[in-house]
Amino acid sequence: MKTPMIATLVAALLAGPALAQTADVSGRLVLYTSQPNADAQRTVDAFTALHPDVEVDWIRDGTTQVMARLEAEFAAGSPQPDVLLIADTVVMEGLEAQGRLLAYPEADVSAYDPALMDPERHYFSTKLITTGIIYNTSAPFVPESWADLLRPEAQGQIAMPSPLASGAATIHMVALTSHPDLGWDYYEGLAAQGTNPQGGNGGVYNAVAGGEQMFGMVVDFLPIREIPNGAPVGFVFPEEGVSAVTEPVAILSTAQNVPAAQAFVDFLISPEGQQLAADMGYLPAHPAIAPPEGFPAMDQIQLMEFDPAVALENADDYRLRFVEIFGG
Amino acid sequence: MLVPLGLMLRQGLLVDGLPSLAPLQDALGNRSVARALWNSLDSAAVSATLSLALGAGLALVVGLTNLRGKAVFTFLILIPMMIPPHVTAIAWTQALGPSSPLLGAVGLAPPPGSPHPLYGRGGVIALLAVQQMPLVFLVVLAALRALPREMAEAARVSGAGTARLLAKIILPLLVPSLIAAYALAFVSALGNFGIPALLGIPGRYTTLPVLIWQRLSSFGPSMLADVAVMSALMALIAIALVLVQTWLSARSRAALIGPPQPPMRLDLGPARVLAEAGMGLMVLVFLGLPVAALVGTALVPTYGVTLTAETLTLANFEQVLFRQSVTARAFLNSTIAAGFAALVLAGFGAVLARAMTGPPSLGRGIGRVVSTLAETTYAIPGIVISIAFILTFLRPLPLIGVSVYNTLTLIVLAYLCAFLAVALKPVSAACLQLDPALDEAARVAGAGWGLRMRRIFLPLVAPAAAAGGMLVFLTAYNEITVSALLWSSGTETIGTVIYNYENGGYTVLAAAMSTVTVVATVMLMALLDLLGRRLPPGVVPWRL
Repeated sequence: MKTPMIATLVAALLAGPALAQTADVSGRLVLYTSQPNADAQRTVDAFTALHPDVEVDWIRDGTTQVMARLEAEFAAGSPQPDVLLIADTVVMEGLEAQGRLLAYPEADVSAYDPALMDPERHYFSTKLITTGIIYNTSAPFVPESWADLLRPEAQGQIAMPSPLASGAATIHMVALTSHPDLGWDYYEGLAAQGTNPQGGNGGVYNAVAGGEQMFGMVVDFLPIREIPNGAPVGFVFPEEGVSAVTEPVAILSTAQNVPAAQAFVDFLISPEGQQLAADMGYLPAHPAIAPPEGFPAMDQIQLMEFDPAVALENADDYRLRFVEIFGG
Repeated sequence: MLVPLGLMLRQGLLVDGLPSLAPLQDALGNRSVARALWNSLDSAAVSATLSLALGAGLALVVGLTNLRGKAVFTFLILIPMMIPPHVTAIAWTQALGPSSPLLGAVGLAPPPGSPHPLYGRGGVIALLAVQQMPLVFLVVLAALRALPREMAEAARVSGAGTARLLAKIILPLLVPSLIAAYALAFVSALGNFGIPALLGIPGRYTTLPVLIWQRLSSFGPSMLADVAVMSALMALIAIALVLVQTWLSARSRAALIGPPQPPMRLDLGPARVLAEAGMGLMVLVFLGLPVAALVGTALVPTYGVTLTAETLTLANFEQVLFRQSVTARAFLNSTIAAGFAALVLAGFGAVLARAMTGPPSLGRGIGRVVSTLAETTYAIPGIVISIAFILTFLRPLPLIGVSVYNTLTLIVLAYLCAFLAVALKPVSAACLQLDPALDEAARVAGAGWGLRMRRIFLPLVAPAAAAGGMLVFLTAYNEITVSALLWSSGTETIGTVIYNYENGGYTVLAAAMSTVTVVATVMLMALLDLLGRRLPPGVVPWRL
C-alpha cells in the first residue's frame, strides 16, 4: 500500500514543476517585435512548437514604428502587447523608467555576461548586433580600425547611420564617444571627412553595396548575410572594439498573459533559443553557443563598454552635441 | 473623421487642459521646425508647378489632338503614380547612382564615391514633380472630357487658330480644374514622406513629414505632443490652401452647358510625329528608367551585384511569390481596402461636391466644412493619421462594443479619412463648370432631388467622379504611411510589406515585390479596361 503512494508522490513531485510550467502556458500572447519578418516568424514558430497551447499574435515593424504605436496605445490607455522584442536597451530603459515593464527575477541568466542583462531583470538581451565597418571591395584600402576612417583616402567616402533615426547608431555614438582613444574628437574628425549621417542601417548598407560610398558604419548581419550571395562588400570588426545592440525582450507591466510571456523570455535566453538566433545569422548573446558562419569566434570580438541607463539619462545631450557637429 | 483629428490635436494644443496657441508659437520659433516648414512649402510649391506644367501639357496633347496611341500613352503615364514614393526614390537613386547599370553602359555613371546627383533640394523637387504629375494629368484630362465642344467649334468656325483656341477658350474654361490640380499636387507633395526621406535626409533638406518622423523616433511621452503640434501646422497650411483655392475658383468659374462629349481632335499636322516621339521619350524617362532599375535590382542575388547573364536570378521573385504567404494576403488586403475606399469616396465625393457647389444652404455650409477637413487630413502625414486612429479606435466602439483595432476595417476607415480630398478634387472642379440652368430646368419640370441627381447630375459628373475614384484607388493601393501603424499580422498591405522588406535590409526582395506590384496594377487596369466598355464614356480615363 505504501509503495505505490510514495511512488505516486515521487512521480508527482518530479512531474510537478514541469507540469505546472507547461500547464499555465497557454492562451494568446501578443508580441511586438522589430525583427525582420522572416526571423520573427521563425522565432514564433520555434516557440509555439515548444508551447503548442500558446497562440502568438505578432506585429513586426521598425523599432520606431513599434514604439510610436505603443506610445499611442499608452495614450489611449490600452497597450496591447504582452512582450516586446525590440532593438535596443536604451528604449527598454526608457520604458522601465516609466514603469511600463514587469520584472522577471526568476529568469535564468547565470550563463550570461552580467553587463548584458538588466540588474533588476526588466529586460533580457537576446543576441548581439554589433556595429563595425563595411567597405566596398573597390575601396582604396581595407580598414582595420575606427581610426582608419580618418585617413585622407576615405575623405567623402563614409556612410553612417544617424542617431536621430537609428537606435543602434545612438548606442554606437555613445560607445565610441566614451572610448578613451576615440571620444568626441573622433566624431569631429568624421565630420571633417565630409561624412553625412543619414537614415538607418539599411541605407548605409545600400550606399556601400551600391558603390555610392566606399566605407560605412553598419550592423554586422547585413553584410555578413549578403557576402555569400556575392555582395561586393567586406566587413571588419575594428581593433578598438565594436558597439552592440542586444535586441532585448521584456514583459510589459500591463501584460495579460504573464505565464506565456515568461515562457517566451525563457525560450529566447535558453540555449535552444540562442542556437536559433545563431541559425538566423546573428551573433548569439550566450557565450557557449557558436557564432554563425562569417563571424569571428566570440572571444575575438571585443565589445566596447556601454551603460544603457547612463545613455538614456544623457540621450538629449548626446543628440544635441551630435547635431552641433553634423548640423542635424 | 473629426474625432481622430480632434483627439490628435488635443494631444498637442492643450496646455493645462486649455486650448492654447503657445505650442505652435514655440514650434515656429524652433529653428529646425521653421527650416523644415520652409523646405516643405518650397518643395511643394515648386514641384507642384512643374507637375502642373507637365501634367496639363500632356493632358492637352492627349485630350485635344489627333495623337495616335492615346490610350496606351494615358495608361503608361498613370503607372509612375502607382509605384510607392519610397520605391520611386529607391529606383531613381539606383538608376542615376554610381552603380547604375544603365548609365554605366553608356559611360555616364558618376564615379564610385561621388555624391548622388539626386540628393538634396533638386532631387526631392524633381521626383515629387514626377510622382504628382499623373494626378494633374488625370484631373485635367477629366475636365477636358467634360468640356462641351460647342464653344470650341464656334471659335474654330469663326476662324480661330489652334493657339488662339487654346488661349481664349480652352484654358479659361479649364482654370478651375487647373487650380484644383495644382492644389492636389501641392498637398500631395506636402504630405509626401518617401521621397524627402530618402533623398532629402542625405542632402540635409528636411521637410515637415520627415521631421515628424524623426521626432517619432525620439520616443518618450512628449513625442505625441510634438508630433501633434507639427501636424497642426501642416493642417493650417492645408486649410489656408483650401481658402485660397475656393476664392480663386469662385472668381474663375465658367459655367458650361451640355453633356460631356467625345474629345476634340485638333490636327497636329506634321508636328504629330514630333509630339508622339516626345511623348514616347517622356514615358521612357519617367517610366522606363525607374522600372528598369527596379527590375534590374529584383533580378540580382543581392544588392550591389552587377546584373549579368551569370548573376541573373529569379530567386527573389520565387521568394516573394511562392515562399512568403504574406504577398498574396497583402495584394488581397490592399485591393479590397483601396477598392472599397475608392468606390465609397467616388460616390460620396459626387454628392458632397454637389452640396458644396449648389446654392447657399445648410448643405453647402456642411459640404464646405467637410471638404476643408478632407483637405486637412490629406495634407497631414499618413503616419499621424495612423496615430490618431489608434487613439480613437483602440478601445471597443461605444454603443456597439465591437473593436475594429487590428482589422482591415480600420485601414479602410483611415483611407476614407485620408483620401477624401483626392476623390473630391476632380468632381468638385467638374461641378463648378456645370450650368445650374440644367438643374433648374429639371426642377421646374417637377423632378425631385433623387431624379435630378440620377438623370442630370450624375451622368454629367460621372467621368470626374470616376477619375476621383481611380485616383483614390491608385493612391491607396500602394500607400504606406497610413497603414504603417494600423496593420497587424493578417492585415498587411502592399506598401507595408515592401517597406518591411526594405527596412529589414532585403532590398532585392523589396524590388521584386515592387515589380510584382507594378505588374499587378497594370493587370488591374486592364481589367478595368474590360469593364470600361460597359461604363459611360470617360469613366475609364484612357478609353477615349
